[in-house]
Formats: sequence, C-alpha cells, structure tokens
Amino acid sequence: MKVLAFGSEAVVYEKNNVIIKRRIKKSYRIREIDEKLRRNRSKAEFNIMRFLYESGLNVPRPLKYIESKKEIWMEKIEGKRLAEEFSVNDANSIGILVAEMHNFGIIHGDLTTANIIKNDKKLYIIDFGLSYHSSKDEDFASDIFLFKNALKSKHNDLYKEAYRSFLNAYKSKIRKEFKGIDTHLKDIEERRRYNESY
Amino acid sequence: MYTLGIESTAHTFGIGISDNEKIIANERDTLKPSSGGIIPREAAMHHFKFAPEILKRALDKSGLKLEDIDLFAFSQGPGIIPALKVGAQLSTFLSKKYGKKLIGVNHCIAHLEIARLYTRLNDPVMLYASGGNTQVITYYNGTYIVFGETQDIGVGNLIDKIGRRLSIPFPAGPKIEELAKKSKHYIEMPYSIKGMDVSFSGIETFVSKLIGKEKVEDIAFSLQETVFSMLVEASERAMAYCLKDSLVITGGVAANKRLNEMGEKMCKDRKAAFKAIPLEFAGDNGAMIAYTGYLMKDYKQNDLAIKPKFRTDTVEIKYR
Repeated sequence: MKVLAFGSEAVVYEKNNVIIKRRIKKSYRIREIDEKLRRNRSKAEFNIMRFLYESGLNVPRPLKYIESKKEIWMEKIEGKRLAEEFSVNDANSIGILVAEMHNFGIIHGDLTTANIIKNDKKLYIIDFGLSYHSSKDEDFASDIFLFKNALKSKHNDLYKEAYRSFLNAYKSKIRKEFKGIDTHLKDIEERRRYNESY
Repeated sequence: MYTLGIESTAHTFGIGISDNEKIIANERDTLKPSSGGIIPREAAMHHFKFAPEILKRALDKSGLKLEDIDLFAFSQGPGIIPALKVGAQLSTFLSKKYGKKLIGVNHCIAHLEIARLYTRLNDPVMLYASGGNTQVITYYNGTYIVFGETQDIGVGNLIDKIGRRLSIPFPAGPKIEELAKKSKHYIEMPYSIKGMDVSFSGIETFVSKLIGKEKVEDIAFSLQETVFSMLVEASERAMAYCLKDSLVITGGVAANKRLNEMGEKMCKDRKAAFKAIPLEFAGDNGAMIAYTGYLMKDYKQNDLAIKPKFRTDTVEIKYR
C-alpha cells in the first residue's frame, strides 16, 4: 500500500494497481456534518464516475464503493497531474474534454489542473467529489469560471492564452448555444463582491 | 519613518501610527447602530464626529505631533462610499497641509499584512472573515490572490442578519457564540461550498424559516457549525492546492473561539501552523493601514480616489 496523495478531504492510495480514495474524518467539524458530507460526496462521486465511464468519457474505471469506509476503488491511470506540468496545448484538450462532460449533463464542481491526469497524449478527468447532474447554462458557466480561476492562481503566466484556447475548444464542442452560458459567466463574475467592472 | 494610517471603510473609524515596522498607536471608535444595520450616511457622520478625538488620542499615545509624521496612508477600499470619503478627505488634507506623501491602501491586504506582522508567519493562507468580507487569500506570483470567497454576503453579515431576526443587537457574533455553547443538537442546514467559493444567502433563508420552530440555542449552534465548517474547508483547500503550511484567521469573526478552534484542529491534522491574531488587530483598525502604507512607501500611485469595490487581486505587490 502506497499513499499517493493526501488531499484536503481524502487520502488516495494504491494497492495492487488499484487506486483507493478514502474520505477521511475531519476532526474540526461535528460528526453529524462530517458523516453526511463524506457519505454523500463519496456515493455521488462513485455514481457519477460510473455514469461517465459507461458513457465513454476519459475517466478512471470505477470498481466498487465501500460505504462503511467511505472508500471508492478505481482503476489506476498512469501519468502526471497537469498541475505539475502544464502547457497551453493542454488547455485546448481540456476544453474538449469539459465540453464532452457537460454534454453528458455532468458538472465537475472542482475543475483545476490538479484534477486532470495526462497519460501520453490523452487527458483524464479525476476527482468527482463535488460533481453533480445538471444541464443548466448557469452550472456550465460555474465550471468554466472555476477553471479560469484555477488557471489564474496556479498558472498565472500562461493564464490568458490558456484560457482563450480552452474556451475556443469548449465552444466548438458544446452542444448548446454558447451565448446563454456566456451570459451566466459574466453574471457569476459580477456576483462576486467588489467587482470593478460594473 | 512615522506613518499615520486612517481606516474608515465601514463602521469603524481608526487611526494608527507606525514607527517603521513597529505599531506605536492604534485608536478607534466603532459605530453601533441601535437597530438594524449600518446606514452609510450615519457611519460617515460618526466618523466625522470622532475623527478629531481619535486623531488626538493616537498622537498622544505615540507622543508625536502631526509635523513629525513622514507619510500618510488611508484605506482606499473596498467599503461603503460615504464612510470611505471621510478617511480619504482627512488624509488628503493632512498630506497637503504637511507636504507629505499620501498612500492609498487596500483594506483586505492591510488585514493580511498586519496578520503577518503579528503572527510572524511569513507565507500563510489567510481566512479573512468579517461582516462585509469573506475571502481566502494567499500570496502567489507577485500578488495576493483570492483563492475563494463568498459569492453573496459576508459571514459576519449572515450572523448579524440572523441575530437581528432573533432580536440580538449588533454585532450578533458574541451572543450567538454564547447561545451555541448551550446546545449540542444539530439541525441540518444547507452546506454550500462551490469549488473554492462559499455562499451564505441560502442558509439565511433556511434559518429564517426555523425561527420560532426550533430552540434558539440549537439554531445558533447549527449555524456556527455549518458556516465555520464551510470556511475551514475552503481554507484547507487553499492550503492543499497552493502548498502552504500555515493559516491565519482575521476579521471581526476571528473573535469567535469556535472558529479558531476549528482552524487550529484542521491545521494540527495537516501538521500546519495556526496562529490567531491579537484581537486588537483582527477587527478593522488604523494600525494595519499605517503599517501597509509604510510597506508601500515607494509606490507611485496616480489614482488616489476611493475605490468602493477595490478587489484584493488587482494590487501589484512590490515589497515582497
């Protein structure tokens, strides 16, 4: 058993080529909140992964879910997280991948370059802990907005170019009128406090 | 170098004086509305009324005269327009009269700088939780980035709004905290964390429907546990993502012991450092404006107008 990642809410470890993601107890919050969050998030994550995998999107193959331990078992994907090694070219592929995911009616909810794995030339989305079903323009926009912010905070030097490339690819693949999404995108930015643009 | 800083973004009027990096005076007065929230005009009137007294107190405390001050600084934003104008006017007047430079300071960054000064944590993630602001800020690539923030109201504002419905006078935080201690019964509430951001307006609506049906202690307890869990979770995400190994909590809500306890536990589990800021410097104060003004002493600023919607991530940080 090898610990691969110690994230903010889960430990990810590897056992016989299987990746196990266990949501750990958080001592800072009361048991009622902690149990509910861990259970709901793990269950939802497993179901969404299964749905996306069966739909043919590049995600790890889910194997099983153990409720008592809040563990998700999945197949291992070799490769590196994009947060460690990011180039503008990847932004284009991410745009396509995210649009496909949205076409299946799934919102990721935590779209950052740390949650994308690159294997050879193929990209895989991981970590569906905050994902949910929706086909609303506003929810699509919230994913895009999250990704934009992740680029800004983690890859600031490439941010503008990468975001443009991401958005162009996304627009070309999304099976929806982009105008509606764009309206919400602007709306979300304005909703944040202290926006100087209005 | 003596720097005099004026804070007047919201309901607190404060003047602080620093001697290089040392705070030598920090005086203030806070408007406490008898009912309801802050009325902008009343805040401004309060500030005008107290400005001479606070200025005198700060000078007396430091043993300085206005002629001795080398640099003036004021809180440029974000904040309430009429309130901001008081600090801007007074500092502009003083800087012109004594022929000294004037620096406009971002209020949120000032909170962070004073937190760094007093906790001695060099590169922390900062949870800034007050009435108007709720942001998770950290330093990255030459600027302070807002890693996550509230999409609607500040957490302190949420607590005050619910307090008002429960007939608790402003600020409601201390009383809510006291009530919460008497309960262990959790009422499930919406837990709204969207990626890095948090949102509180749904909780406000939800809680307002509970009033009269559930015990006040249970509401207070459940409210605190829910919103603080959200804030600590957002802070932990920022720490994990940006690889930072320390956390500070500041803003008016930092006075809450339960929030501090939760932050401390989270950090302990991550083997990260946690430090609380002395309360005097957690709420709005003039000292943080003076100190940050001192850090920015070499800045050339063309725009010294007030900025009511001044965003943290638009300031270029040249002194780090």
